[in-house]
Amino acid sequence: MGKKSSKMKKILIIVVFSQFLFLSCSKEDTIVYVAKPLNFDVPSNFPDMVYNLSNNPLTEAGFELGRKLFYDGKLSANNAIPCAFCHEQAFAFTHHGHTLSHGVNGGIGLRNAQPLQNMAFQKDFMWDGAASHLDLQPIIPLTSELEMGETLSNVIEKLKADSYYQKQFTLAFEDGEINTSNMLKALSQFMVMMVSSNSKYDKYVRHEDNVSLTQIEQDGLTTFQNKCSSCHATDLFSDQSYRNNGLSINPRLNDKGRFVVLENPEDLYKFKVPSLRNIEFTFPYMHDGRFDTLETVLDFYDSGMVDNGNVDASLKRADGSLGITLSDYEKESIIAFLKTLTDNEFLNDTRFSEF
Amino acid sequence: MTITKLALALLLCISIISCSSDDKEDLTGQTGTLDLKFDNGVGDQDFIFGTSYNKSNGESYKLTTLKYIISNVRVKDSKGNMFIYPTANNVFIIDEANGNNAGEIFITLNNVFAADYTEITFGIGIDQERFLLGAEDQGDFLAEAEEAGMLWAWATGYRFMRFDGTYSSSSVTDEALAIHMGSVGTSLDNYREVTLTLPNTARVRETAHPEIHIKADISKVFDGATSVNFADGYSQVHTSSETTPVIADNLKGIFEVHHVHNN
Repeated sequence: MGKKSSKMKKILIIVVFSQFLFLSCSKEDTIVYVAKPLNFDVPSNFPDMVYNLSNNPLTEAGFELGRKLFYDGKLSANNAIPCAFCHEQAFAFTHHGHTLSHGVNGGIGLRNAQPLQNMAFQKDFMWDGAASHLDLQPIIPLTSELEMGETLSNVIEKLKADSYYQKQFTLAFEDGEINTSNMLKALSQFMVMMVSSNSKYDKYVRHEDNVSLTQIEQDGLTTFQNKCSSCHATDLFSDQSYRNNGLSINPRLNDKGRFVVLENPEDLYKFKVPSLRNIEFTFPYMHDGRFDTLETVLDFYDSGMVDNGNVDASLKRADGSLGITLSDYEKESIIAFLKTLTDNEFLNDTRFSEF
Repeated sequence: MTITKLALALLLCISIISCSSDDKEDLTGQTGTLDLKFDNGVGDQDFIFGTSYNKSNGESYKLTTLKYIISNVRVKDSKGNMFIYPTANNVFIIDEANGNNAGEIFITLNNVFAADYTEITFGIGIDQERFLLGAEDQGDFLAEAEEAGMLWAWATGYRFMRFDGTYSSSSVTDEALAIHMGSVGTSLDNYREVTLTLPNTARVRETAHPEIHIKADISKVFDGATSVNFADGYSQVHTSSETTPVIADNLKGIFEVHHVHNN
């Protein structure tokens, strides 16, 4: 890898010299596949990982290829809209300040770009769960006319004509082929490594560095556990379910949520419960980015929900009204707690940056 | 050898000097395009048709129509020169219903003089001078305004805004709401102007096409310089000399330039 943060040096690097390499040592110009595995640690406060690494072992060259692809405009029709256009690292890989994603030729997508973090722990992807495997997720934005507007075959043609990719695919994969499967695997290797697990909260729960929470953060955590964590569960802060949280329907978009995937009427207006990690930087909020601030979000849960026909039972009060009752101090303290989920090590990790 | 080095050093100095001097860039006769992007919101929320928004006094409202007229757009550059867009075409209807997926409405200004602009001024509504040109001299705008429901009988004039929908309070539910403020002929002038400083320079060139992103917080129409109660005559605002100037002053205060994109 070209970039080595201090953290990278800790990562165990096993160099496997294959017989193949041995043979080719005499020919100086030949580029050969050498697997240099990357180690992947599951943080101790996280649930088990979902991504099956045995089908796509992490290697230095594969990760580096994925990073290059992530930042390369060639994946889009006008060669100018890379994945990173809507997924900026400084904002936990979201599209800073934009309600909806922008794409090629001024196209505007239908949903707010979600953060990319802890992807290895997720069962499925997108607000509606349309992608059931991380390797398949990039196909959706890449082929969307409103986002990257490309075809897989055309992207592969562009990559084949590029000397960097001719070399890097050979280094990254045993078969060395520049094809869709290897491109998607490389992107997955890059995204699998994106783990955000070193926020103040993480260090607190893992009893590291003598980190403690302030009184208001502690109060916020307690309220959060009582009133929010049934959906924003585990230290991923999502139970990965799909729920209708009582947002008014935007007639311009008329986004039916998970219903679009399976056309099951029970899925109307359901969206994936989002993680809350780095939420201080992932505004605006909700699937359509309608709320600019965390205060607005909590005001919404307290008093702004509407009955759109299918609101989640957990969001109903005993008297049948909709919402989660929150006092002003509860809102203030929840926000103080949520800011302990900011992971500056992740947001500034040079392994994931473009340059 | 030494002479060559000296010449190179001299050349470098000249190029550094000329690079750092903006005055050398001759923009005479050069024009470009300037986009204005209007984005309506309610406080910290995006505006969505049919969604209920709360006022400061416990009343709430939902809108089905949201549009207003912008005119007399002009921009001032860093040297103090004012560029005024040609009057005949300098009037626009900002209609939320014509927005893109994200509810953004664009005005494209062509043939703007190339310059580094630092300030924008525009009117809200129609000034008396334009109104007094008479119905015959409004160009295509009269038909456009009529089509958009932004015109009373000519003698009365234009509606500067249309907020149509319903409002609710502790005592009423979904009562009709219609804010149709405008001037009233020549007897009541509700035209207002607003000047906004750009947070970063809009660099118009033949090859550079900046976009000024203007956010409009429509909650300030009701909770602006003056907070108004729907229950006290502000659910139907048309030609009253009492209520329309209050709404006009509030409307003037809804705009802010969020940022400028230099493309």
